Amino acid sequence: MADELGTLECRDLTKAFGGIPVLKGISLSLAPGTITALAGENGAGKSTLMKIASGQYRPDSGEVFVRGESLPSGNPQAAYRLGVAIVPQELASVLEMTVYENIFLGRELSGPFGLRRRAMIESARQILHVFGVDIEPTRRMGSLPVGLRQIVEIVKATNTGARVILLDEPSSAIAEREVGKLIEVMRTLRDRGVALLFTTHKMEEMRALADRVLVLRDGELVLDEPLRNLTDDDIVTAMIGRELEGLFPALPEPGTEAVLEIDNLHVSGAAAPLSLTVRRGEIVGLAGLVGAGRTELLETVFGIRKSIAGSIRVKGTTIKGGTPAAAIAARMAFVPEDRKGAGAVLSMSVLDNATLPRMDKFSVGGLLRQGFRRSQVREAMDAVKLRSRGLDQSMETLSGGNQQKVVLARWLTSPVDVLILDEPTRGVDVGARSEIYRIIVDLAEQGMAVVMASSDMPEILSLSHRALVLRNGIIAGELDSEQLAHPGVQDTIFRLASGLEGIDSSTPDPSTNNQKDN
Amino acid sequence: MTITQDTTRRFSAKWLQDLAVRYAMVIVMVLIISFFLYRSARFGTVDNVVTILIAAAPFALIALGQTLVILTGGIDLSVGSIIALSAMSGALTAKTFPDRIWLALLVAVAVGLIAGSINGLVVSIINVPPFIATLGMLTLASGLAFVVGGGAPINGLPAAYGQIANTEIFGLTIPVILMIVSIVGFGILMKRTAYGMRVYAVGGNRLAAEIAGVKTGRILFSVYAISGALAGLSGIMLSSRVISGSPNLGQGYELDAIAAVVIGGASLLGGRGTIWGTALGLLLIQTLNNGLDILTVPAYWQDVIKGVLIVTAVAVDVWASKRRV
Repeated sequence: MADELGTLECRDLTKAFGGIPVLKGISLSLAPGTITALAGENGAGKSTLMKIASGQYRPDSGEVFVRGESLPSGNPQAAYRLGVAIVPQELASVLEMTVYENIFLGRELSGPFGLRRRAMIESARQILHVFGVDIEPTRRMGSLPVGLRQIVEIVKATNTGARVILLDEPSSAIAEREVGKLIEVMRTLRDRGVALLFTTHKMEEMRALADRVLVLRDGELVLDEPLRNLTDDDIVTAMIGRELEGLFPALPEPGTEAVLEIDNLHVSGAAAPLSLTVRRGEIVGLAGLVGAGRTELLETVFGIRKSIAGSIRVKGTTIKGGTPAAAIAARMAFVPEDRKGAGAVLSMSVLDNATLPRMDKFSVGGLLRQGFRRSQVREAMDAVKLRSRGLDQSMETLSGGNQQKVVLARWLTSPVDVLILDEPTRGVDVGARSEIYRIIVDLAEQGMAVVMASSDMPEILSLSHRALVLRNGIIAGELDSEQLAHPGVQDTIFRLASGLEGIDSSTPDPSTNNQKDN
Repeated sequence: MTITQDTTRRFSAKWLQDLAVRYAMVIVMVLIISFFLYRSARFGTVDNVVTILIAAAPFALIALGQTLVILTGGIDLSVGSIIALSAMSGALTAKTFPDRIWLALLVAVAVGLIAGSINGLVVSIINVPPFIATLGMLTLASGLAFVVGGGAPINGLPAAYGQIANTEIFGLTIPVILMIVSIVGFGILMKRTAYGMRVYAVGGNRLAAEIAGVKTGRILFSVYAISGALAGLSGIMLSSRVISGSPNLGQGYELDAIAAVVIGGASLLGGRGTIWGTALGLLLIQTLNNGLDILTVPAYWQDVIKGVLIVTAVAVDVWASKRRV
């Protein structure tokens, strides 16, 4: 009987969003006192699975059982009652309240004279102590670093009697030294018989924590093995898995002329300055973990952030930093990572969104040239095969892939020399993905210098002439096309990105290693 | 395939809903006008229509400025006080230089422009929330309005001062003509110019606008400056109409202006709204005021009815935007 306690069981879960299947029949079981890692690429269905298991989403079919009891679907309160707690990627703590108030939120201790604050403070202190964190419970939550806030969230979850704790990328937002604390807390919970499931992109965390590894790929569970039976390569191969041929077009030969020259650019928050030259027609991929400084670098180059030092030149002309308008005038174009937050004005039409970066071209004395901009924008949108009800359709009613096409193609109504892409296919389905790849390669062929940050490994491997791995804002390693074609390269990138391999240690020699992959 | 059919069906229902939502205000307007026409013979006369327009004119100017501000996701609470301050400044100028009435007009608009520019600087450079920045200006300008007149109204102004607002051209007074020209002008500005599109973009998503090369700080500054200048213009018109300057002029007008914009379908979150909507919202309020006056509905009940109307308008907006996604 004791063995049954804390078990979470999922049976044949399926879920689709807008007709696109996200989970295709997932079955899994978590034993008490174990830590399970859930790995997979972005969009593989990890978060969806967690949201179903914690009652936030209703599965299209299938069932979740907690300690043998069926979880009423789409009912977070019931999940909470049954002892399932989720610690989301974006924390849900009330920053203006104290630590103990957060821990007791919703289940405050009160007596005949109102809240029993002293009892709550004392009790919070004890619980925190069990986990080896001695934070003063009366401190304001907002004054704690993110890592500690996360631990308080986990403590809060166990304090509500959770027997199953789901953690969505627990280490993505916290500093390196705080990860150790998190690992300790998770181990303590395991020893107390809690079943833990966490998602991660980092190999080292799986190694340090997990008893078992699950890998999701395109909504299917492709790997479910005890960690000790797996090599890093097994996991990576399971994550990437799919046929790369066909999805990516062939890369054209890059030119020789240097178009973008980044010279000793010190990005705010980076460990050191960095230099980079991108040639005409060349696609340079930027790999690295979340928080490695890729987005910061790209945003600094485009003038959204101010740099500490260094210079940026396009075709030999130095760009005035710190303003996107200057970058645009120098024929740069930028497709940001967060499409909804930064890429598009969703309340405006396709036409207006496409006009925005080219206002000088599309207006005379302040008046918009209606016919001209319409024909120019239509031409650009036709070139990327945008599927819409017309140029006047509001952006918010387009699919993710089509929104991304607009955000990319809107630059194409004027010549562009430098194209900066941050996660160009995030949240884009596979079909639209291959079209976007084709567009990027076409643009490079026309002579643009392309810099592309991506967390999608196949993108880095198959869409870059050259890849840089970033860590702490500096280049931890550089891989040329030959190295990128090598079977062991994914492991090399993981190692460079996570700091397991120094800058100086060479990539595996193509002739000796990793024969088993072939 | 099923999905496509499903969405099409939903789309046509949505299309009907959108239509009803888009023209809801016109429908309400027609209903209200028919009701008043039915109840009162005087309501439909040319004289009464002119009365409505004259009452609407000073509100129209500040409502247009308010529309721009609200489109950027901000709010301008200070326009009522700016009306008082610029009216007092204009009146004082006219009293000091009775031969140069144009100077009074200039001073009033300049005072409004300066007050609005201060709002704009505080919001765009120091990043003070617009509500707070303009609340401060509301109090400040109101205080200054009393300072200018030493706590009393300014009377005994030259007759020429009254000509600013009371001169008629083709049977319409200058404020009414100004209102019509401004509505058309701002309609074109917001729909047909690069500036208008930038205002929408800043309100719809400031970061995305910045990335597309829009100098968002300048746009933010400009809408408050415009709003202030229009309040200045409104102030001198109001003061000229009664040929005196009172520090209580324009008090609470900002709320009617905000109501007109909101009833016109603009979202207080920014990015959504039209000049046409504001004009309609404004006329709706003024028609309602006028009609209820004619029917001798007590002033307190008029306020109750207006209050219900404002909340209903926003409720429709929320309901509609939920269906937009």
